[in-house]
Amino acid sequence: MTGVVVGGWEYVIAAYSITALAFVIYGVSLVTRLRESQNHD
Amino acid sequence: MDIPKVSTSKTPYVILALGVLCLLIGSYIGLAVAPAERFMGDVQRIMYVHVPTAWNWMLAVLFSLWCAIAFLFRGDMKWDTRLEAGVEVGTLLAFLLCCQGAIWAKPTWGVWWDWDPRLTTTAVLLFAFLGILALRKFVEDPVKRAIWSSVATIIAAIDLPIVYMSVKWWNSLHQQQSTPSTVSSQFHLPLRLNAFGVLFLMTAFIMIRSRIAAYRLRQELAEPPVRIGEEAGELA
Repeated sequence: MTGVVVGGWEYVIAAYSITALAFVIYGVSLVTRLRESQNHD
Repeated sequence: MDIPKVSTSKTPYVILALGVLCLLIGSYIGLAVAPAERFMGDVQRIMYVHVPTAWNWMLAVLFSLWCAIAFLFRGDMKWDTRLEAGVEVGTLLAFLLCCQGAIWAKPTWGVWWDWDPRLTTTAVLLFAFLGILALRKFVEDPVKRAIWSSVATIIAAIDLPIVYMSVKWWNSLHQQQSTPSTVSSQFHLPLRLNAFGVLFLMTAFIMIRSRIAAYRLRQELAEPPVRIGEEAGELA
């Protein structure tokens, strides 16, 4: 045990992927909901 | 009550594009250019998304608190539409924060989750904001909805200074607050770029989401259309 974390790229990729996915999905949902609201107005 | 006007400017989309650009450049530097940290190795690169998310989540909570207080004092429904946007975006950021934190915790602490003061108080605020969103979904009267959710937001926001100070007040597994003054200068650029990236993205999301809330409010406050038969009946 050296106290140094070895590897771990899979965790880095997971964190960045979840963040990107959440932003993209939320952004698309916002644009869709805005268009629907504009059509109803 | 005044029917709120809805802006149709393209400003949120410009801010959104700026945010994406900052995040792309910041993440590239954070993943490919910045050196690995001495003890945590490459896992530390999660910091470049986790810390900006945390800073901006706190800003989203403060923004929601500001909107709640402004509505209660001024009674203007535009603050309620902004509150709805702030709470929803704040919930998204809190959820992301917990996911990123869990992913970072596994290789460094050996567990996905721990009932540590920082994590627990953050989770409390996440569930409080989810509760406010549920409350807004179920209350049909716009005025009652605005008042109740403003009061609930103020109560929930009491947790924010506790979240911030939790790593100082209690013996916490979570490290002290990360700021440019507490990390190596080699990590500054990606951290700052991603912080601005998330800030721009959050601002654009709040602007667009408050427009959606304003449209819904307009529909709720609009007079129901008078049917020809009813009109004729009244005249007769």
